Amino acid sequence: MNDARIRTHPILGELPPRKEIRFAFNGIPMQGLEGETIAAVLLAQGIRTLRYHEASGRPRGIFCNIGHCMECRVTVDGIDGIRACLTTIKEGMEIHAGRKLPAPLKRGGVTP
Amino acid sequence: MTDIVIIGAGPAGLSAAAVCAEHQLKVLVIDEFMKPGGRLLGQLHREKNGTWWNGWEESASLTRRAEQSGADIRLQTSVYHLQSDHQGWNVYTSAGIIKTPYVLLATGAAEIPVSLPGWTLPGVMTVGAAQVMANVHRVKPGNRGIIIGLNILSFAIARELQLCGVEWEAMVLAPNAMLHPLYASPRHAADLFARTAHLAPAFWMRAGGKLLSFSWAKTLTVRFFPKSGVNVWGIPVRLRHAATEIIGKEQVEGVRIVEVDADGAPKPGTERDIPVDFVCVSGGLYPLAELAAVAGCPLRYIPELGGHIPLHNEHLETPLKGLYVAGSITGIEGAKVAMAQGRVAGLSIAFHHRKGDRRLQEELLHAVRDVHQTRESAPIQFHPRITEGRKAMKELWNAAHHNG
Amino acid sequence: MNESETIICRCEEVTLGELMSAAKQYRCSARELKLRTRAGMGYCGGRVCRHAIDTIARLANDVPDPHEPPLKHQPPVRPVSFLHLGGEAN
Repeated sequence: MNDARIRTHPILGELPPRKEIRFAFNGIPMQGLEGETIAAVLLAQGIRTLRYHEASGRPRGIFCNIGHCMECRVTVDGIDGIRACLTTIKEGMEIHAGRKLPAPLKRGGVTP
Repeated sequence: MTDIVIIGAGPAGLSAAAVCAEHQLKVLVIDEFMKPGGRLLGQLHREKNGTWWNGWEESASLTRRAEQSGADIRLQTSVYHLQSDHQGWNVYTSAGIIKTPYVLLATGAAEIPVSLPGWTLPGVMTVGAAQVMANVHRVKPGNRGIIIGLNILSFAIARELQLCGVEWEAMVLAPNAMLHPLYASPRHAADLFARTAHLAPAFWMRAGGKLLSFSWAKTLTVRFFPKSGVNVWGIPVRLRHAATEIIGKEQVEGVRIVEVDADGAPKPGTERDIPVDFVCVSGGLYPLAELAAVAGCPLRYIPELGGHIPLHNEHLETPLKGLYVAGSITGIEGAKVAMAQGRVAGLSIAFHHRKGDRRLQEELLHAVRDVHQTRESAPIQFHPRITEGRKAMKELWNAAHHNG
Repeated sequence: MNESETIICRCEEVTLGELMSAAKQYRCSARELKLRTRAGMGYCGGRVCRHAIDTIARLANDVPDPHEPPLKHQPPVRPVSFLHLGGEAN
């Protein structure tokens, strides 16, 4: 796998072999390793954008990575507001980035 | 039936858990992370004697001891509220409400960011986020990055990330002295060098560090500081440059830096854009005391400890019956002090639970002394005036109880 | 992008410029700044921006830091679903 995983580390040692987990992100099938968080496995593949700001639509990714900032919230198996930095991937998980919400009553807003 | 709920499975929480369980209390430790150890997990540094201190191993050892003593550790569980009633405490968690007579808040600290245009782009993260991604999850946060904000934590993490193969463009100051008075100041950065001089490998850095202890030398050095920066572990530390904007369309592509004068004021016309693929911001740490606040515990503002701190005494009791605090929630310090405090909290709770136990009282006294000794032997402090801060809390506690 | 466009509250995308002009215009506390601009009212409960909001309010009013946090902590301090609160999850 050509990715950003740190397989060998001078102090922390080698990464032990782990089971491959299949999941999907935004409908695209992907693979990760058992025990990895959603944020980590996506970052390993160079995917930084985890959601789009609900009002502005601007892309957001991890910021604190420990569950404080809520920036990394994704929809997992239909449930919103799941922190990608605290959630480990499971076989068959379906993950979606949150999108900009419609604002039909706002001046200049779009009705879907 | 739970006797004590410990919120936070970091060094303070785990140490307290072992002590309480060893004294026959039914212990439940709750943490929202998927591994026990808290922020100890990602830590890695070289001691003065050359050996490597590994937070992973330390966490495993603390967890083992807590579990072997009989403590229950529940991970991936969040606490969203804390309220007392006539029976004791109600801990509201994502896995249900737990009733308990004793609660120990060991929730640690949160990071203060540096804010600048473009900082919401994917690829900008706190320095702690980078540490956790690399050392805990074993994923590189990026290939070539820049750190905005100089402090003990950002220096330590810069070094740790080098070990993971990350390249650093530089470490620079924060912009906007109004928002970030310390982090935008070259003088404050120079002062940091004075305190950390003994960690610097090169002889001239060590000599330079000692010179900086006097304010006149500080001014002299900041004015004549090489504009290209100095190298610490091969990382250019540019305390005459500040980042002014993070550039990119969908994610970080680069950062704009500007030269600043000795007072941190930007020199117009010196802006340069540098390509980087990720950015770490570091504006300090503050105690995560939100649960203490919602529980109704009074707080006191003590900047030497890092911010608003739950009022507590040397036995780590708060004014609220059955509510205790330990670790960075009491003031920002390292893991070793947190562990020592965890021991104090555990003994304090056990002593309260088993009133009149003389031996426990003795142990508690020793444990409190141990915290002071651990503090004194620490090679480096995040907050240099930590002892003053601890003294201030003691005085505020005494004042509150004198009038109460 | 100029400095005043710096986002201070990431959750609600409230800028430095908006906060500074509200602070100046109303000479208000951090709590009132939060109520007027929505800064600190987002998903993260002010965890990321409270330090900056406190700084801006303090500088605008020239007051020292009070003991109780200027921005009140409100439960729930972590996200909790209505499903959970309604007991259906248990």
